[in-house]
Amino acid sequence: MPNDNEARSSDSRIAAMLRDREVERFYYDEAALLDAHRYEEWLALFADDAHYFMPIRRTRTQRELDKEFTRPGEMAFFDDTREQLAARVAKLKTGRAWAEDPPSRTRHLITNVRVIRDDGRTLEVECNFHLYRTRLHSEETSWIGSRRDVLRRAGESFQIADRKIFLEQTVLLSRNLSNFF
Amino acid sequence: MALANGEIDKLVSLERGEIDRRIYSDPAIFELEMERIFARAWLFLCHESQIPEPGDFFQSVMGRDNILVVRQKDRSIKAMLNTCAHRGNAVCRAEEGNARSFLCTYHGWSYGIDGRLNGVPGHGTFYNGQLDKSRHGLAQVAQVANYKGFIFGTHDASAPPLEEYLGATGRLGLDLIAMRGDMEVVPGIQKFVIECNWKIAVDNLFDWYHPQITHASAFESNVLPRVGERRDGGKIDMSDVNMQSGANLELAAGGIIGSKFETVVVLGEYGHAIGGPSTSSSGYFELFPEWRDTPQAKAALGPVGINVAGHPNLFPTTWVTTGQQISLRIPREPGRTEIWWFTLVDRNMPRESRDILISFANRIFGAAGLLEQDDGENWAQATAQTRGVASRRMKHLLGMGLGRGRIKKEGGLSRIEGLTSEYAQLWTYHSWAQWMKGLPWDELKNATTPGDCM
Ligand code: FES
Ligand SMILES: [Fe+2]
Repeated sequence: MPNDNEARSSDSRIAAMLRDREVERFYYDEAALLDAHRYEEWLALFADDAHYFMPIRRTRTQRELDKEFTRPGEMAFFDDTREQLAARVAKLKTGRAWAEDPPSRTRHLITNVRVIRDDGRTLEVECNFHLYRTRLHSEETSWIGSRRDVLRRAGESFQIADRKIFLEQTVLLSRNLSNFF
Repeated sequence: MALANGEIDKLVSLERGEIDRRIYSDPAIFELEMERIFARAWLFLCHESQIPEPGDFFQSVMGRDNILVVRQKDRSIKAMLNTCAHRGNAVCRAEEGNARSFLCTYHGWSYGIDGRLNGVPGHGTFYNGQLDKSRHGLAQVAQVANYKGFIFGTHDASAPPLEEYLGATGRLGLDLIAMRGDMEVVPGIQKFVIECNWKIAVDNLFDWYHPQITHASAFESNVLPRVGERRDGGKIDMSDVNMQSGANLELAAGGIIGSKFETVVVLGEYGHAIGGPSTSSSGYFELFPEWRDTPQAKAALGPVGINVAGHPNLFPTTWVTTGQQISLRIPREPGRTEIWWFTLVDRNMPRESRDILISFANRIFGAAGLLEQDDGENWAQATAQTRGVASRRMKHLLGMGLGRGRIKKEGGLSRIEGLTSEYAQLWTYHSWAQWMKGLPWDELKNATTPGDCM
């Protein structure tokens, strides 16, 4: 017979596993929306005060690695409020966003999901992604990187309150970033 | 491999406004560009604010040479080739940072931040002290100069001084940023790669014929920040644009193109040019235009220049944007160009305005830029269609307005006023051809001095 303490700790471990599973499920659903070009539904996952940020990364020596990424207030590939993200989605919906018409073919693979912090209301979550894209005849892009999100609990699901995207590239090896991460 | 000058003249026709498509994909032409343009022209390296402290460096590019631009102990700036004098290894692999010295990681030769060779392992034992260190420092770029904070270099020791090279047109181009205040580069140089020829990217910066179609989706979706009346830009109504027929395309707003879109094209020696709206044009847009009213700006730009609000290109590859950015187009291969974006702000500008400028720059241009996303698509496809034997027989057409452009000369500037045209692009190609002949500097200047009509 497990004693009280052991029972409690195994309960909390099960709760943490369920929570981790919910977070993963949330990310898989999100990825499915993006790959199906269901951008408006994707946008609805973001909180009104959300910030969406992909810094510029620079090759630096070990000694100066703390300056590898740019910070908010500096230049970035993405530095959007939710309203600005909405403008990107609206652009895609016009039928005249040529970089995405014909649309690129994408697949978002989400892995290594780790809840770093959970205070009951908000969670800090890290994950890795592989965004594979082909376009037109032979254009092929592969972006691998990590995301650090702040998720807010919202009913049965979550809202993305903050997303930071870190690419494993300095010079971006593609002609544009017309997709979402 | 060298092309005869008669051959080069056939590639660009100023009279007919036609360009041979070979210039975008022929590897021999690309190699010749490396020698006759990129090893001679003054090229933009970086802005002095990027390297404020001694030992600060920024790695830049001239042609295919990798260049270390380094702030010295006496605050001067040197530019040197990033290649070891021993057997060629790069002595610095970071894009930017601060260095006390540059250590070659192959055999350990070490150089001061001024490029002097300080240490050679085994100098006494293996070289018997006979290697003359003073003769084997990092090679210095032949000429380096600073124009109002903008650092340029040329590999040609006989090139005219930078200010003379820029001439009135190039200086105006830079003054359009430099005179906005005490300018500094915002940390973070956006770099990305487009599979296009560099000239197609340069050609496009003068192109005010394309935004209404290429950027239709961006204009329809609230891309421009709304801060006050004159700067609203905002949403442009595209509802009357019939995308099916494409005929008689005219926007109701008349903003970016149309009959109220007055332009001024400035043509300069050595191939510099400026093209786009004047300040009285319906297409004039600047987030914070107050700088134009300052006495310093008026004095530096002059009565003609103060009303120029288009896009300058400093030949060959430095685009100065109205959004206070510099976009450098670095040729890597005939069909591969790297784009580098530098963003400048006035150090003394209020935080809020600074944020608006940065946010605008981040969202409009660059790889994710709501405008630039769609540009790359066109450039890559236009480049790809120069490779087919049959496609290549067709010319690129730059005849818009041809023969009707009266060139007015005033204040050292040659300008053509009128509606949207292709004069600035054609001027760039004409000048390109003169550069490609390898003319001596004085003949090159003559051959790229605008006449009375275009
Ligand atoms: S190549 Fe640099 S020390 Fe030998
Ligand atoms: Fe464009």
